[in-house]
Amino acid sequence: MAGKIKQMIDTIITQRSKGNTMLIGVVKTKLMLKGIDPSKFTAQSPDDSAIIAKLEAISKELA
Amino acid sequence: MKIATAYSQNNNTRDAVAEIRAQLKSEDIKLVVFFASSAYEPDAISHLMDEAFPGAEVLGCSTAGEIISGHMFKNALVAMAFNSQAIKSVKVQAMENLGSDSYDAFNSFEQHFGRPMSQLEPDRYVGIILIDGLSCKEELIIDRMGDLTNVNFIGGSAGDDLKFSATHVYANGKSFNNAAVLALIEPVDAFEFIKTQSFCPTDKTLLVTKANEFTREVLEFNHKPASQAYAEALNTTVEDASSHFMHNPVGLVFEGEPFVRSPQQIKGDSMVFYCSVMEGMELTVLESTDIIKDTCQAISAAQDRLGNISGIINFNCILRTLEMEQKGLTTAYGELFKDIPTIGFSTYGEQFIGHINQTATMLVFK
Repeated sequence: MAGKIKQMIDTIITQRSKGNTMLIGVVKTKLMLKGIDPSKFTAQSPDDSAIIAKLEAISKELA
Repeated sequence: MKIATAYSQNNNTRDAVAEIRAQLKSEDIKLVVFFASSAYEPDAISHLMDEAFPGAEVLGCSTAGEIISGHMFKNALVAMAFNSQAIKSVKVQAMENLGSDSYDAFNSFEQHFGRPMSQLEPDRYVGIILIDGLSCKEELIIDRMGDLTNVNFIGGSAGDDLKFSATHVYANGKSFNNAAVLALIEPVDAFEFIKTQSFCPTDKTLLVTKANEFTREVLEFNHKPASQAYAEALNTTVEDASSHFMHNPVGLVFEGEPFVRSPQQIKGDSMVFYCSVMEGMELTVLESTDIIKDTCQAISAAQDRLGNISGIINFNCILRTLEMEQKGLTTAYGELFKDIPTIGFSTYGEQFIGHINQTATMLVFK
């Protein structure tokens, strides 16, 4: 399976930024500083369970 | 003037504060930010600065050098005062016992502003953070604060004139260790941020394959001993690698913008950094550029965006200051700010979105 990581990243960015362009950049930077570089993942990226678990934790932190 | 600055090079704490008070004559001061050499006794400087400005919120910290419009100083006291034409509302709060996951400061802000921190607009409110520079807790604190609010907090880690013994943060008359002091501000006019670091990315990358993020230690890059991999990336020896630290730190690069991680020392096969790095991070080896030129451009760009600048608070990394001292550039750096009301200090770390090194983060007021 592939694409789940990109989907999770997009969901976090959308939910947190609520479409505010300035906030989109800030949220992406926050993700990178938490160890997930949004630019490294595409719809073809394999579903790495360790990264998915990390994103689930980040999603809770940012909620 | 809605934002005014003052400085004193008097080494007597009481006299220095009196000189600051005499220069900041306004009766309408809402906020005072000050940066004081570690030569000033911490409890006394905090108490006297608070006493000098009754009715104002007051915060500050100890430094490794001070900045004021036109000058870089050592062993001085600098201050900036904001009146009601500059600030609608402000609340200063200490965050004690770093690492205890206590964010009572945010409760205090919510009570003062009457709204949850999670709902405050980042283009209307801005935060300042001054944090114990020897706590090694900056990443933890700024990361968690960024989780809880979209308001940007910008600031620096307190210094102690390179003694690395004790750093202090000050809020409303008290002095703290292992603490941060925060100000949440609703300015009258627009504000901007500057994050400037004088480095460009090279084509060399180092993947962190083994690290202890709590001790800020990287054990392996690219599955090799960290010191060896770093030295190889610079075509040098492990023995010579530390001589490259100042000019070739590493950084997370996001959309061309480096977030610098500065090496502190080689420890056996490992490398210790001034801020933590996590396993899985890809770091780019950076190459130094021109601090004066880059900073000048960053200020000009902020001026273009805002139209005019009425004040800057500059959190300037001590490693940048040391590089400028080596190159005889401190006078030129001070002069970049000669026409703008500015205060700042040489920090042990900088904060903006995250914790970073070898950077100047600045809060710029229209």
